[in-house]
Amino acid sequence: MTRAEAFSDREAMMCAVARMVEDGRTYWAAGGGTPLYAILLGKKLYAPDAQYVTEDGVIAPEPMLPFEPMMTMVASRATYRALSWGTMNTAGFHAQLGFMDYGVLNTLQVDQHGNINSTCLGEYGSETARRFGGPGGADTIAACCWRTILMTDQDRRKFVREVDFISSPGFLDGTPGARERAGLPRGTGPWRVVTPWATYDYQDRRLRLAARMPWVTVDEILAECEWKPLVAPVVEVLDPPTEEEVQILRTELDVRGQTTDAAGSWIVWDGKQYTRGGA
Amino acid sequence: MTATQANPRAIEVLAEGSAPFHPVDPDGFREWVRDHKSRALVSKLTTAKEAVARLVADGDYLSYDCNYLMRGPNAVLHEIIRQQKRRLWLAGKFTYVDVALLVAAGCADRVDCGFFLATPPVNKALHEGRLEVYEYSNVVMTLRLQAGAMGLPFLPVRSFGGTQGFDHSGARLIRDPYTGQPITVVPALNPDVGVVHVQQADKYGNARVFGTGIAHAETALASRKVILTAEEIVDTDEIRRDPGRTSIPYYAVDAVVPAPFGAYPGTCPGYYGSDPMAVMEVFGAISTNNVAPYLEKWVYGVSTHEELLERVVGAAKLAQLKANEIITEGYRP
Repeated sequence: MTRAEAFSDREAMMCAVARMVEDGRTYWAAGGGTPLYAILLGKKLYAPDAQYVTEDGVIAPEPMLPFEPMMTMVASRATYRALSWGTMNTAGFHAQLGFMDYGVLNTLQVDQHGNINSTCLGEYGSETARRFGGPGGADTIAACCWRTILMTDQDRRKFVREVDFISSPGFLDGTPGARERAGLPRGTGPWRVVTPWATYDYQDRRLRLAARMPWVTVDEILAECEWKPLVAPVVEVLDPPTEEEVQILRTELDVRGQTTDAAGSWIVWDGKQYTRGGA
Repeated sequence: MTATQANPRAIEVLAEGSAPFHPVDPDGFREWVRDHKSRALVSKLTTAKEAVARLVADGDYLSYDCNYLMRGPNAVLHEIIRQQKRRLWLAGKFTYVDVALLVAAGCADRVDCGFFLATPPVNKALHEGRLEVYEYSNVVMTLRLQAGAMGLPFLPVRSFGGTQGFDHSGARLIRDPYTGQPITVVPALNPDVGVVHVQQADKYGNARVFGTGIAHAETALASRKVILTAEEIVDTDEIRRDPGRTSIPYYAVDAVVPAPFGAYPGTCPGYYGSDPMAVMEVFGAISTNNVAPYLEKWVYGVSTHEELLERVVGAAKLAQLKANEIITEGYRP
C-alpha cells in the first residue's frame, strides 16, 4: 500500500485507531468526530464485520455518508439501515450487560492511570476554572465497555500526571481493584491511548509508551508528557497512513474537514523522510 | 445477634456525593398522578403559548428530550424564553447549545450536567454565581429518569463510581445486599415539567417517536406536567391500527401542541433535515457570548413558532429542508 505523502496529525491518529478495529467486535463510539470516523474507516478497510453503537441506542447502522454537519446521532443519515433503534438507556443497559467490547472516545486530559477529564481545566469550582461540557456518554463507555481506546493530542497540557477532574474512570488511583471498589464492572478498563504521535498501553495500570510514529522520537514524545510515563523495552515504529486511508477520510467521511482540518499540524514526506510542519 | 455485630446483608452507605438533587418522592408522584393526570380520553390539543403559560412555573425542574439540533422541542424552548420563565433547573443530558441559550436568556440557574456545550454564556454565569452545575453523565441522567418512570426512589448503576462527578452529585455508593459488592445508586428524577417533540400524536397524547432517541418515554412518564409537540396530529384510529408503534401513552400527557417544523432549526428525522445556516448562527451567538441579537431575531422578534417559520424562515427554505431529508425507511408506519 502506498504511503500518504501529506496528512494532518489528526488524520494519522484516526488511521492508527482504524487499524485496531476488529471483525466481530462491538464498538461504542463517543459522540461524533474522531472516534466515529476512526471506526468507520476501520470498517471500510480492515474489519467490515465490526459493529458499532452510539449514545442514541442505534445498533449496527450502515450510515448514509457523509453526515450533515454535526448530525452524527438522532439523525436519519447517521442511523440509516441499523439493525435496531433504541434510546440512550438501550446503549447504557447493553454496555452494563457486557455487550460492548470496545469504547472509543476522545478527551480533554488523560493522566498516568488513564483517568479522563472532560469537565474543567483548573481547580473545580474555583474562579479561574474553565468549564467544559462534562462526560456525556464517556463515563458509561469508560466504566462498562470491556476495553477503552482513548484518543487525544500529544500535548503536555493534556498528558498530565493527575487530571484536574476525573469525569470518566480510568484505573482511578491505580491500585489493584480500585475500579471494583467503586462499583464498576470487573475486568473492564483502559486499554490503549492513541495520539497523533504515539500509542500507549498499560503496565500494572500505568500508562506505557508502546509505539511511535516514524516522524517523532521517543524523547520528543516524552517532552509532551507532563510526567514520565513507562516506556516499553522496544518502542515499535508504526506505519504511516496510506493514500487509501486518507482518501477515504477526506472524500467519504470527514468531507467538510470538520475533524481533520480543525486542529493539528501537517506531516509531509520530503522524499526521504516525514517532516512535521507548523500548525 | 447483638447490636454491635454488623449485619452482612444490611445496606451500608460507603460514600456519597454532596450536591443537592431534585427531591425524591415516589409516593408524592403517585398522588400527583392520581389527582392531576386525566385517565379519560380527553382532547389535550392546545398551543405552545398556552401550554407553557399553564404548565411551566418559575423554579420548575425541566427535562426535554434530545437537543436544539436533534428533534428538540424548540417551539416550546423558544416559548419558555419568550415568556421569561425564571430559575428553571435543567436536566442537561445530551444537550447542546440549548443550555447556553436558556442560561443566557436568564431562564435557568441550575443544571444537572450530563453534557452541554460549555460556551462563554455558561462560564460567565458560573463565575458570576448565577448558575450552579451538579455533575452526572448522560446515561446516569437517563437512568435517573428511568427510575422516576418506574415509580422507584433510586436505581443502581454500573458506572459513575470513582469519578469526581460522583462527589458533586446526588449519587451514593452502597454495599449491595445481594452480592455484597459496592454499587452506585442514583436518585430517581421526576421532573416538574417534561417536554418532548414527537413525529406523530393523537389529540389525547398517544405519541409515536420514529428513529432513535434519548429518553422520550422515560421523560414523559417521569414528569409531573408533560407537554408534547407533534409534527403531525393523527387520528386515534391510526394509533389503534399499529399499537406497537406507540412510544408514549395518553395518560402521561397534559398538553398536545400541533407543531409542524417544531424542531426547527434542528432535524426531525424522517421529516426534515436541520438548517445548517441557522444552526451555525446559534453556535456563533453563544461562542461569542452575543446571544441577545440571536434571541431578538429568532425568539422575541416573533410571537409564535408559526410566525417564525412564516416570516423569518419562509416556505421555500422549509420545502428545501423537507426535500433534504431523503431517507424515509422506518419513519412512517
